[in-house]
Amino acid sequence: MKGFAWGGLMSRYPALFALVLLVIALSINLILQPNMFASDTLNSNMRVFLPIILLTVGQAIVMLGGGIDISVGGIVSIVNTILATRVGLEGSAEAMWQYVAISLLVGALAGAINGFFISYLRLQPIITTYATSFLYAGFALFILPNPGGGIPAAIAQFYRTTIPIGIPLAFYVIAVVVMLWVYLRSTRYGGFLYAVGGNAEAAYKTAVPVSRVIFSTYVISGLMAAFSGIAITMLSGSGNADIGSAMTLNSITGVVIGGTAFSGGVGGVVGPIMGAITLGIIQNIISFAGITTWWETLAKASIIVVALAIPGIVNLFRRRE
Amino acid sequence: MISSLASFPMVFYKGRFMALTLSAKQIVKRYGGVVALSDGNLDINTGEVVALIGANGSGKSTMSKVIDGVVTLDGGQLLLDGNPVNFSSPQAAKKMGIATVFQELSLIPQMSVADNIWLTREPLGPGGVVNRKDVFAKTNELLSLFEGTFKTDLRPEVAVSELPPDEKQIVEILKAISFNPHILILDEATASLDSRQVNRLFELVTKWKEEGRAIVFVSHRMEEIFRIADRYSVLRNGKTVGAGNISEVTEKDLVKLMIDKDSVFSYSRTGKRITEKPVCLEVKDLHSHILHGVSFNVHESELVGLGGLQGQGQRDLLLSLFGDIPFTGGIQYNGKPVHFKHPRQAMKQGFALVPGDRNREGLLYIRSILENFQLPSWPRYGFPLKIGQAKKDAKKMGASLNLKMAGLQEPVSSLSGGNAQKVVIGKWLMRQPGLLLLDDPTKGVDVGTKAEFYGLLTQLCNEGKTILFYSSDDEELLGLCDRVLVLHDGKIISELVGAALTKENLVSASLGVANGGVQ
Repeated sequence: MKGFAWGGLMSRYPALFALVLLVIALSINLILQPNMFASDTLNSNMRVFLPIILLTVGQAIVMLGGGIDISVGGIVSIVNTILATRVGLEGSAEAMWQYVAISLLVGALAGAINGFFISYLRLQPIITTYATSFLYAGFALFILPNPGGGIPAAIAQFYRTTIPIGIPLAFYVIAVVVMLWVYLRSTRYGGFLYAVGGNAEAAYKTAVPVSRVIFSTYVISGLMAAFSGIAITMLSGSGNADIGSAMTLNSITGVVIGGTAFSGGVGGVVGPIMGAITLGIIQNIISFAGITTWWETLAKASIIVVALAIPGIVNLFRRRE
Repeated sequence: MISSLASFPMVFYKGRFMALTLSAKQIVKRYGGVVALSDGNLDINTGEVVALIGANGSGKSTMSKVIDGVVTLDGGQLLLDGNPVNFSSPQAAKKMGIATVFQELSLIPQMSVADNIWLTREPLGPGGVVNRKDVFAKTNELLSLFEGTFKTDLRPEVAVSELPPDEKQIVEILKAISFNPHILILDEATASLDSRQVNRLFELVTKWKEEGRAIVFVSHRMEEIFRIADRYSVLRNGKTVGAGNISEVTEKDLVKLMIDKDSVFSYSRTGKRITEKPVCLEVKDLHSHILHGVSFNVHESELVGLGGLQGQGQRDLLLSLFGDIPFTGGIQYNGKPVHFKHPRQAMKQGFALVPGDRNREGLLYIRSILENFQLPSWPRYGFPLKIGQAKKDAKKMGASLNLKMAGLQEPVSSLSGGNAQKVVIGKWLMRQPGLLLLDDPTKGVDVGTKAEFYGLLTQLCNEGKTILFYSSDDEELLGLCDRVLVLHDGKIISELVGAALTKENLVSASLGVANGGVQ
């Protein structure tokens, strides 16, 4: 039975679905935009995708551990407003470095607050991070009530146009992230992550430090959100306290399209990265298809819903057989 | 075999563990309002196998969880060579050299056999990277302990979720021994093993004992206890009621200790009958994922038991009959062919299913007793809702079941396990079902309530209801049923009725060695 083999393959390699979807999306995009693989076009796409990719990676780690982090968008906003107000358009490179470091600390701290509530006070992840998302978004508004500020144009320019040996900067960042993940995955911590997400009760009985592992996933997610905030600030060059609010849902969608299960313990980070890229390409397709802005959200959401439903539909037909 | 003794370097001397004694004294453990242990006592000595015996729900599993640090004590203390110790977590107990084979298993389904066994103790290479080759090699070493008893090609890289129950159990055993424990607790470790695997385990236990380990063997299988144990300790209703050397007692003595004097089986049906009433349920060649051709008949107002080891298809059979899972095969009820595709259709025909896991499948835990009682029956109270009538009926049902509650408006979560189970049965009795399907309904129910259940089931049968009753407690099947169908590996391996309905026949049929009864 052909369908059955496909199902087995999917369950063994959850990222396969993401790959198939990515290839389909790429093909359609290529038809609409024949020069998309040209170095410049590729770079202008990838530099836009990178913030979401980074955010999705953090979200994937949290979801692997059986949780969810709805506050990531708020953390992105905080980082963006800190950089835009403290470094400033006329700032120096040193100031930029300094506040990049502070941003990372802030991201980790915000993640630690989530992690403390969830792992040590045993609160529901979805409720906790929903609440802290307002805390973080509110804090960003406190720092920068009206859009404005920014970072030096040269730094933004560096992010936008660096193409070492013709390959966009974003690919180097992704390569580093994937290598770090592959390393993490092969340490004891990697095993703990899957164990806690797969069956926290059994992991506890096996003497896995469950609370610490859950705590750490939120710190990682906070850190990745800070990286994402740094990237989006360099992309836009300016500050806006609302910049992260739309990114949270995209990060979750990217993870799910990437084959990492909501229930935890299944999947990885590479699938979600492909998922995030797919989301970006879908956005591209919509702009190139000449869909009016009124229909854009509807069209994008429809594509995502169908894409998410495909594995379920395949299963449904298998059950019918 | 296992050389690293990271946690307890002093205990291993000249190939043997140092002698020690761990004593549990007057242990008290409560779960909410339910007292699991009220006076639990156990002495564990190295170089010995001590059997922890008791009926279902007597506190055996709780006792082993207390020793392993999974649950915290409400009273009493643990003494290690006379000095008080306190295991606040499984980590603490593992550091002291205690490992457990959990009855409900402690495996992560999505992870591989090797990753499961060595979780938290993976051999590390440079940079903290887990040495996969080492993990696999060490896993193969452990798997070789049970070599030749596997039905499938059990390899270290296979995901645990893909294994049959017996091999999952073996992985759980190997995981526990991989901790190189000083004290090993086997909680119902033989329940899903076949006789060859049990034999192998017992050879290993003997070896481990000689190495100077202490083994706590939790079981209710008498034959195994007498084969392997040196000492025994009997729990009844959360109290330790006897302990001593196994060589000084007989099976009868132990059974007497396990069962209250006025045994619950004084409720067993007087003069079990082979009914001459007509056949009301006819099942022919039922196949499902787990069932491989099950055929049998049930007569009107008969109480038929489903026996066998856990997970042999009993639950699947009940769920198939109730239309909850897909199956193929023929079912006739009262002479008419039926093939339910949804429980709703089965309910309309007067079927009722009392599920095994009452918290997950049987009850809306935080909702009121009234709502739970009436959940399958609301349509009968019409539109607009006759709430007064519904309350009156629920009250009547509560009284007839002798339900101990503060009021109908109280949530089910306020009830004890036994009383909560009464609500599960009661909600189906509200519908006056003709055929009751019971999936291990007395699991985790206290002895007093069990006795009431037995009375209730007998009464229901006498009223003309037909009951199909799966129980993991052999005594129940023997004491209550007119006839017992023993399932093994998705098939009915034996049908025990009348004089053939004996403990020996039931146990041997359960293990797949059918030597009694009607084939």
